[in-house]
Parts: sequence; C-alpha cells; structure tokens
Amino acid sequence: MCAQPLVTLERVEKRFGNGPLVLDGIDLKVERGEFVSFIGPSGCGKSTLLRLIAGLTSPTNGEIVIDGMTPENARELMFFVFQDANLMPWRRVAENVELPLLLRGDPTARRAERVRHMLEIVGLSAAATKYPWQLSGGMRMRVSIARALSVAPEILLLDEPFGALDEMTRDQLNEDLLAIRGRDPFTGFFVTHSVPEAVFLSTRIVVLAANPGRVATVIDVPFAYPRGPELRETPEFLQLLAHTARALRAVRA
Amino acid sequence: MKSRLLSLLQPLLAGFALLGLWYAAKAVFNLPSFVLPSPDEIGAAAWEERSTLWAAAMITLRGALLGFLAAVGVGFLLAMVLGFSPRIKASFYPYILVLQMMPVTILAPVFVLWLGQGLPSIVAITFMIGFFPVVANTTMGFISVDRNLRELLLMCKATPAQEVRYLRIPGAMPYFLTGVKIAGTLAPIGAIVGDFLAGSATNGVGGIGYMTISYFSQLKTPALFATGMVACVIGFGFVGSVNLLHWRLLHSWHDSMVKKE
Repeated sequence: MCAQPLVTLERVEKRFGNGPLVLDGIDLKVERGEFVSFIGPSGCGKSTLLRLIAGLTSPTNGEIVIDGMTPENARELMFFVFQDANLMPWRRVAENVELPLLLRGDPTARRAERVRHMLEIVGLSAAATKYPWQLSGGMRMRVSIARALSVAPEILLLDEPFGALDEMTRDQLNEDLLAIRGRDPFTGFFVTHSVPEAVFLSTRIVVLAANPGRVATVIDVPFAYPRGPELRETPEFLQLLAHTARALRAVRA
Repeated sequence: MKSRLLSLLQPLLAGFALLGLWYAAKAVFNLPSFVLPSPDEIGAAAWEERSTLWAAAMITLRGALLGFLAAVGVGFLLAMVLGFSPRIKASFYPYILVLQMMPVTILAPVFVLWLGQGLPSIVAITFMIGFFPVVANTTMGFISVDRNLRELLLMCKATPAQEVRYLRIPGAMPYFLTGVKIAGTLAPIGAIVGDFLAGSATNGVGGIGYMTISYFSQLKTPALFATGMVACVIGFGFVGSVNLLHWRLLHSWHDSMVKKE
C-alpha cells in the first residue's frame, strides 16, 4: 500500500552557472530502509548528487521528491555527514554531538540523555569532554556520525566520510556504521571511492559515469544484514567486488 | 629548572650591563642631570613624586581602560554590522579607513572643541586609536566563516540568530581577540598621547601625558624619566592582562594555543 518511494529523482540535471552539465538525466527511486552507494570516477558528480538530495544545492532541471516534499522542506528527515568530520573546534565532543539537538530546541535533560546514548553507541563515552584537536581522524568521524544520528534522521547522507582514514579504521567504521543502523534504522546515501566499502555497506550501488555525470549501472547487493567482517572473505562478496570493479573500469574507459 | 634560572638570569645580567653603560656614559661625557639623570636620581625622583605619579597613573589608566573598552565594544558591534552583509561593508568601510588615516594630532583639537579638556577627550582619542584594529580583524572573522559549518547549520535548520550565536561569534573570536590584543597595546599609548594633547589638571596633577609636559617645562628631567617608567609599567600591565584574556578564551581549542605532540 505504501508504494511511494522515500526518495525520487526524476530527470535531474545540474549545471553550475554557465558551466558544463555536471549531472544529466538522473532517475532514481529509493525505498525506505535502503542503503545506496554512489561510486564513480572523479568529476562524475557523485558528491553533487548527494548535495542535491540534501537540498544544499538545487537541480537545474528535473525534480527531487523526498517523502512528498522538496529537499529543503524535508531537511528535518535528513542529516549530512561531511567529508572531513566538520566539527566545531571550540566545542567539546559532547557539545558537538549536542548541537543539532540544541538548535532544534530539545530540553536540556533530553539532550544530555541523547548525547550520552550516542557517545556510547560510537564508543566515545570516555572522550566526551575532549576537544576535536585531541582526537584521531577516525574518532573525529565517529563524533560526526554520532552528531548526525543524534536527531535520529530518517535519511542519512554521507559524503565520503571515511576517505581520509587508513584501511583498518575504515573497515572498523564500516562495521560500526552497519551495527548502528541495525539498532537505529535509517535510509542511507553514501558517496565513496572505495569498491569494497560500497559492496560491504550497500543494498544497491549506483555506478556513475563522468562528463556529464550519469547513471551507468546499478548493482544490487543481495547480502542480508547484519553483515559482519567475515562477509568480506566469502566468495560471493569477492565475486561482487570484482563485478563492481569491472563496472567502474568500464565507465573510466 | 637550570634553564629556567638561566633564562631569568640572562636579562638580569644584561640589565646590569646596561646600567653600567648608563653610568659610564654620564661620567665620560660629563652630562648634567637635567640632560641625562642617573638611574638612582630617577629612582629618587620617583619616590619624591610618588603621590603625583600614582595619581597620574590612575588618571591615565582610567582613560586607557575606558577608551579600550569603548574601542572593543564599538569595534565588535561595528564589525558585526559590517560582516553581516558585503554591501554594508563595501559602503562604509572606506569611511572607517578615512577615520583611521586621520592623524590624532588633528583629531585631538576637534575633540577638545567638542568635549572640552579632560577625560572625555582622552577617552575619545584612545578609542580612535584602538578601535580600527578591532573592527578590521573582527570583520574579517565574521566574513570568513567556515563554509562547511554553515552547511551543517543549514542541515540543522538553524535560524539566523542561532547561526550568529553558535557559529559566527565563536568563529570570529580568534580574530576579535587579535584585534583586542592590538587595541590593548595601543590603549595606554592612546591615553598618554590624548592626555598630552587634551589633558587637564587639578592642583597641578594630571595624567601621565600632562605630567610629562609639566616636568619638562620645569626641567625636572629625573621626574620626567620616572614618568616614562610609570608609563612602561602601565603598558606592560595592560598588555599582560589582554594576553591573559586571549589565552583564557582560546587556549583550550585554538590552533595557535594547543600543544600538539
């Protein structure tokens, strides 16, 4: 009965000023509970696509509908995890996590409770009173994720959140992200350069081609959740990895 | 510990050397005290004039403090207005520059005409000297807001007032405090120059600037030098307090202060 997809993009085009077309004819329907990764060569507009869904920039043509609303009006449902952790350097860890709750006017006691809960989930309870500069890159990203999830958004948009981290930290955070999602489900949009990351996290991978950015292939990822680190060693995973890498190579050529 | 002691000892030894040089110069060139008083004569004069100098210091300190506070307060508010929109900044910034370029020696008589001799004019002169660095720096701070943090607040549906409170003001704080630091070094100088140009006296006692003129006209050179020492103390006290404030507000988070291991 609830046939309406949560997020719909129809013939979406984007061009900055009089520049070339960055995105062309993007059609995408995403159901509640999906986790969609955008992957593609540099300049394919995958970050722009994410920003369009977030309403941080508007499409030149076409339409984006989120739960029946424009992206700007649907902001309450969404939160964005930025490329660098994007924390306020003058606020302590707990204060950074608290910020979205503070801005929307939650009462103090509820904020404190929620912040405590979020820091526990990302394993940073001990770092609550530290400043961002005292944390490692991976920890900072955890704070950023805790902040984003503090408002329990229906849709989480992540713009290459783990791109700057080493592989071990990245794998760990991938697993943590799925674990969090198991407890607090959200619909995910994820921009990445990493094929293993995309395969590990997603229900669907959208491979984009560049100049102009357009959907080249959509790959379904059939693995059931919860997914643990052992998934990475299964033949099915490695097969899909190879398949996705091939699709990515094809758009590069 | 040893290096701490040494770092204290070094300037002390250099000080003794300079004092020796001072006495030597006075002896070798046979300089009379009204040209170059010896350090002990300056000390004696300072003791003799202590009540006058103390009163003068208080008058100057009051002028410096009021002018400084006005410069910081008005500077901050003005910067907020200028930083609010590029159009307002483009319209009014040139005139603020004009004010800054106007020499104090010309402004001083104007202030005396408007406000009379004494404290109001001194405060106005100190303000004129100190407010520009505050405005220039703070405006820069309000304008150079982190773009990503702005987008974060956009995602949070923050109101403009929330953006000012939670992003613009804290983000501008390091810039503002740099301006405050500069204003802090200028304020005592401003108050003394202001006093020199527009000061007044009751019973022959005025501020540091006024006493400078008074001692000079009486050729009380040792007292004149003592006045200079008092001015130095006021300056150090002022700069020290402002640096302390700067440290207090930034040391926990700002790049310029935190220790990275």
